[in-house]
Amino acid sequence: MNIKIPVSWLREYLKTDAAAKTIARELSLAGPSVERTEKRGEDYIFDIEVTTNRPDAFSVFGIAREANAILNFVGNKSKLQPPVGMDLNLEPDTKEKLALDVKVANPILCPRFTAIILSNIKIGPSPAYIKNRLEAVGIRAINNIVDITNYIMMETGNPMHAFDYDKILGAKMVLRASKTGEKLTTLDGKNYNLPEGSIVIEDQKRLIDLCGIMGGENSQITRRTKRAIFFVQAYDPKTIRRTTQTLAVRTEAAARFEKGIDLENILPVLSRAVYLAKKNAGAQIASELVDIYPKKQVSKTVTLNSVKLDKYLGIKIEPSKAAQILRLLGFKVETDIARLTAVAPAWRAQDIKEDVDLIEEIARIYGYHNLPSTLPEGQIPQRPDGILKDVIALKNSLKVLGLTEAMSYSIISKAMLNGSQVDPKDAVELQNPLTEEWQFMRPSLIPSLVDVVAKNQNLKQDIAIFEIAKTYIKRKDALPQQDLWLTIVKTGNDFYEIKGLTENILQILKRNVTFQKETRENRIFQKDESAIVNVEGQEVGTLGLLSHTLTDSFGINIQLLSLELNLTKVFGLKTTQKGFKPLSKYPPQIEDISAIFATQTPVTMITEEIKKASHLVKNVEVTDIFESEKIGKGKKSITLRITYQKSTGTPETEEVREARDKIIKMLQKEFLAQVRV
Amino acid sequence: MDNIKKLREEAETKILSAQNLEDLNKLYIEIFGKNSALANLTKNLSSLPPESRRQAGANINQAKQDLEKLYQTKRVSLVTNRKSTQIDVTAPGKKQQLGHLHLVSQAIEEIVEIFSKLGFSLQSYPEVDWDWYAFEALNMPKGHPARDDWETFFVDAPQNPKYGRQVLTPHTSNGQVREMEAVKTPPIRMINISRCYRRQIDVSHTPMFHQFEGLLVDKKVSITDLKGTFDFFTKTFFGPNRITRLRPHHFRFTEPSFEVDVTCGVCAGRGCRLCKEGWLELGGSGMVHPKVLEAGKIDPKTYTGFAFGWGIERTIAMKTELPDIRLLYQNDIRFLEQF
Repeated sequence: MNIKIPVSWLREYLKTDAAAKTIARELSLAGPSVERTEKRGEDYIFDIEVTTNRPDAFSVFGIAREANAILNFVGNKSKLQPPVGMDLNLEPDTKEKLALDVKVANPILCPRFTAIILSNIKIGPSPAYIKNRLEAVGIRAINNIVDITNYIMMETGNPMHAFDYDKILGAKMVLRASKTGEKLTTLDGKNYNLPEGSIVIEDQKRLIDLCGIMGGENSQITRRTKRAIFFVQAYDPKTIRRTTQTLAVRTEAAARFEKGIDLENILPVLSRAVYLAKKNAGAQIASELVDIYPKKQVSKTVTLNSVKLDKYLGIKIEPSKAAQILRLLGFKVETDIARLTAVAPAWRAQDIKEDVDLIEEIARIYGYHNLPSTLPEGQIPQRPDGILKDVIALKNSLKVLGLTEAMSYSIISKAMLNGSQVDPKDAVELQNPLTEEWQFMRPSLIPSLVDVVAKNQNLKQDIAIFEIAKTYIKRKDALPQQDLWLTIVKTGNDFYEIKGLTENILQILKRNVTFQKETRENRIFQKDESAIVNVEGQEVGTLGLLSHTLTDSFGINIQLLSLELNLTKVFGLKTTQKGFKPLSKYPPQIEDISAIFATQTPVTMITEEIKKASHLVKNVEVTDIFESEKIGKGKKSITLRITYQKSTGTPETEEVREARDKIIKMLQKEFLAQVRV
Repeated sequence: MDNIKKLREEAETKILSAQNLEDLNKLYIEIFGKNSALANLTKNLSSLPPESRRQAGANINQAKQDLEKLYQTKRVSLVTNRKSTQIDVTAPGKKQQLGHLHLVSQAIEEIVEIFSKLGFSLQSYPEVDWDWYAFEALNMPKGHPARDDWETFFVDAPQNPKYGRQVLTPHTSNGQVREMEAVKTPPIRMINISRCYRRQIDVSHTPMFHQFEGLLVDKKVSITDLKGTFDFFTKTFFGPNRITRLRPHHFRFTEPSFEVDVTCGVCAGRGCRLCKEGWLELGGSGMVHPKVLEAGKIDPKTYTGFAFGWGIERTIAMKTELPDIRLLYQNDIRFLEQF
């Protein structure tokens, strides 16, 4: 949360010679950060970030209090001057005392309730300094009474409210939780259907306040107001927060109430408000003080061991120094040789709970910038890297193979989900999506990458992209399956191209790969132009030509090739161990055999049989496959490069001929091949 | 004199008409060899009258040099199989097709590299995780604002009686307690990089982003170690002239908590439009809260630790001065191919 503070206002409570720049620097280093300083006329405006655990600093006085402690510690002269009028004796000024019948139904909703009635009010404009200061922090001045409530909130951090006493029916106030169906019009003219359990105040007949958020229109201060109720409270932060969320309202008051209010400061704040009302509007106290405070706020007593303090800070801190810091911050401190015991000031009662909280206070005021910088000692853990390390290496290889990395959202729309092979029932759906565009966790990367191609198809002809990311599949009574996948999508129509790329990739990953025809129905790949990728007999992915149904649905009219590879599986399977094989001393004989086979004959079957046909065959490579009308329908010509080798000498011409004859006979017999020599 | 001219013309014709390297090699002996016509002319120089000897010698040498040059040029042309023997060094080379890595991946690689040197290993944890790991174990009890439906995405799945709802991790800190459970006994030095999700989309936020997280737990870990680690990182990642500072901040799972700032690269810390008084926020950090150590079954009396984390996108924007973070996920090929 950020707060704007005019430095001139700050100086009303912070009596120091330190320049605005110095204050800003020291505050940022040891307390709330001054994110920007803006010069406005003779004044400066600080824009300060206050963390959510420090509502006590979310005000001009709160910042002054912090700055005072910090400046004093670093040796700048500084004194804190609290606002005037915080300790008035709130006795009635008038003879005739007005009545107010207050009931707090549940003290958990409102741990402290104070109110006082003021009469003889003369509504008019506020003094110039109040108007100017409110304007400087972005609040519109309205009249002297309303302005006091806003001014007090900015000054002390404690929101307050003023009702027109004459509009409270029956001079009665019941603070309670709202019931279903209750409605209220707030003073900005908006109508709300209140969620059940919001904190409200009801007079004799109707709701008059949406507590902690905004007052009701029906009880607001107007130009004609003569008598007012000043009203300072604290509320249950969670309840306030729930209401602001449900109603989607944000107010300065709610922002403070939902962080927590110092209960001990409530009465001083009311006193200060009355002081200003007397001064600015001629008000008189016309009732007894109402103060319902059943459970007094207590600060915890926390003990800090000095060994622990030194261990955290990495240097030795004298207990007297630590105590000095805490005292500057308002703590009550006792020290002995080994430890210090501290009680937080009332304004930190909700924030200081254990010894590490004290360590933070001491360390920040001492100054993190004053601590040395060291590298961690100790042993380096013997912990192997996870697969992401391998993924980094793989990405670099893919880049060298000519692929460009894309990164797309893991949350997809229903339409995109339909572009995957997964049954929508198995998809991980969000309970609270932002929009329909982001509704499901994707079970496949293919639709996302096809979408990327679609978006770029007019920019570039040949696109070859990949992405590595997790996919999500629902599992019963468990977290979703979250495997890491590599997906490639590229323009092209040659099955063998994507197959070759896949072989390259698995060679880089040092895994043995085999391929198998896809026989299942598949909406994503063209069944006849795709294959299943297997490593160590386990299915790890699919590759091939993407289906027209899919590309059409993205408005793409060119062919796309794709590979999807489950890296979680692949990295879990064993790598190929390549041992040393002695190099043959004798050169091999290499020959080509071309033959015509039936189209459906698998090439691996042919090469495997050739290897078995003669012990001289050391290697068989397929160098060419083609089909043509000349050869005939349903036929293909294959050129096989055969390496004949022996360990005892170069194979003799006669030996090679023998082996070749065996191979040719085998091909003719087993495959009905027509050998073309 | 005429002899030289004639010889030279003949040799030129022969060289130029050579069809292949083999022919050209044969010509070498013929033209420049010991018994070549040129060599013979040199030998016969002494038979010339002394007054013309000098001039003739110079002419022979010139012819020899010119032929040698022509021979070399022809050789290059035969080797390279190119008509023109001129190369244009500014003309494009014939390249292999190279791809491009995403900026986010490049940053991840650099970050991992830097922390590897300090002994941190790279781990990975679920992106859809239990409430327990994402919040409860991190000292963010029920009712904490980050656990609201309007800040964090929840999965439409039944609650687990022990671990609660399934959430899209809004930070990488779910890895902290998971790492403690995996390692059991410190030391721990872990880096976790993951996609994270928050329910916000505007000019500077995308609902998905990358965060990286570091966790170090050991017997003697102090704030000074955290400072040293950041200094090491910043100088390696952003450059030797950049410095870091810690500012007080607040996170539920660390105490004390800090915001880490780096001096602005644009104004070198003097203060400019892009930074806050000369500093840029890098990310959050702090000393691991004792409750978090307890949740990971590590005794906070014996062990302390620090943790830090921040958005990768932010560091990229800081380093490259990328004007709009959303560009990273629009996948415009012209953008992707820039890096």
